[in-house]
Amino acid sequence: MRAPQFLAVLALALPMARLHAQDSESTSIGGYGEVHYTNATGPNTPGEVNVKRFVLYLAHSFSERLAFRSELELEDTKIAGGEPGGEVALEQAYLDYQIIPEFTLRAGLVIVPIGIVNEVHEPPTFNGVDRPNFDRDVIPTTWREIGLGAVGTLAGASGLSYRAYLVNGLKASGFEPVSGIRGGRQEGKEASFANPSLTGRLEWARPGLRVGGSFWYGGSANQDPALGTGTFDNAVALLSADARYDTGPFMFRGVLANISIAEAEAINAAYGAQVGSRINGGYLEGAYNLLSALAPKSVQRLNAFLRYENYDTQAKVPVGVVRDESLARRITTFGLSYKPVYNAVFKGDYQLQRTKSGLGEGEVLSLGVGYQF
Amino acid sequence: MGFCSALASFALSPLTSHLSPLAAQSAPPGKIAKSVERIFGEGVKVDTLKVDTVSVLRVSRGGALLGFARMRNVKGKDQPITYLVAIDPNDALKDVDVLVYREPYGGEVAYEPWRKQFRGKTAGAPLVVGKDIRNISGATISSHSVTLGVRQTLAELTAWHAAGRIR
Repeated sequence: MRAPQFLAVLALALPMARLHAQDSESTSIGGYGEVHYTNATGPNTPGEVNVKRFVLYLAHSFSERLAFRSELELEDTKIAGGEPGGEVALEQAYLDYQIIPEFTLRAGLVIVPIGIVNEVHEPPTFNGVDRPNFDRDVIPTTWREIGLGAVGTLAGASGLSYRAYLVNGLKASGFEPVSGIRGGRQEGKEASFANPSLTGRLEWARPGLRVGGSFWYGGSANQDPALGTGTFDNAVALLSADARYDTGPFMFRGVLANISIAEAEAINAAYGAQVGSRINGGYLEGAYNLLSALAPKSVQRLNAFLRYENYDTQAKVPVGVVRDESLARRITTFGLSYKPVYNAVFKGDYQLQRTKSGLGEGEVLSLGVGYQF
Repeated sequence: MGFCSALASFALSPLTSHLSPLAAQSAPPGKIAKSVERIFGEGVKVDTLKVDTVSVLRVSRGGALLGFARMRNVKGKDQPITYLVAIDPNDALKDVDVLVYREPYGGEVAYEPWRKQFRGKTAGAPLVVGKDIRNISGATISSHSVTLGVRQTLAELTAWHAAGRIR
């Protein structure tokens, strides 16, 4: 298909949508949230309770094909002047314009489509009180940036779907060794567009199974003269694969990711950081619904789960950095998720945090509740 | 259908196909007819029965009853999902069709591999995700909503049939 032809068709389609804009408007409200109790073992570590997230979901359809969708989040209960912590943040705010099911145009503040938990992060959808540590230190959830792109299903009922976006890039000035690229996210706040970046995902689903592959590619120099002014200078290249398998009583999920940071040495020189040139790892989780054996007639669920995470935010280091082996983390989490209905959950887990060097290890007990509607 | 021609057909198609005032709650009549034909075969006679305010389709061929069908909506994450449930004269579920799926995710509930799990079910079946119906990971809300909707619709049609309100 030639580009001009495509644009001509699009131009025809756009005014057509305006004609039926007022047919069937509707507004929809939803939300999710989670309250946590965490208690690290050891002396002088009192337990802490926190309303970790309270999120309102607001969507409006202007027509069958045109919709606005958003998530507004309050983290840690409140923000107050002179006190640290707390955050009010937009997690998503975009317009979806469905041309055909294979092609929905999306523009605004979008969720980066990488891994499992970044896109599907409602507390009843994952086991464990907190999200996997991997989904904080490697894939920096909830990762969202501003841009535009497309989402859709492919080839009729093949089960294939995709999303692809062009969004603002990461900023290398925020990279650090413990949680890698996390501090480089701009999250839609007066974000620099110096390094437009590409991200996308292809996935295949059938009953019980969903397999996906995701990528991110884009510069992070932000036109800092110490790094470079090119669009793709200090490029961050991320590749990730994930799978979810659900038999009913048994559920499995796993994610792998590899992040390469080009010229990490220059980043470290510019900002006095200790950033690794490669970050990689993953996790594997299995769960079993105990009620399928104890009370086969029950429609409630009591999932016992075990998750093993293995990742290193300094899997490779550039010249000038001595590898810190306490960043090579091996975390085992086990616990229970009790779900009276599929979208409300009571959770408890115990986490063994181990590292390759033996330094920075710990154990944490967590309890929590979560919901979505 | 190629991507370009699909786009073109969207742009040039008669307005009526996406201009119905009930667009958010219903499916185009052509889509319903096509679904009934797919499920019951070609050349069937379709009559509309009323149970209170609800329309139920009665499907027959040459005077012989083939079954009943009803169209309904359930709420997905933020938009309605329009689906059709068809039963045979013995109140066994013949098939489910998702007529209109409006959200960008979870559309796999419209696919044959998932829908076919419902075939042959009767009102006595659990019809619960995670029991006799498999979940679609990443489409949990849609899987649960459609399954609940099918359970309710099957129970209603069965009860109306037993009471002689549809015959």
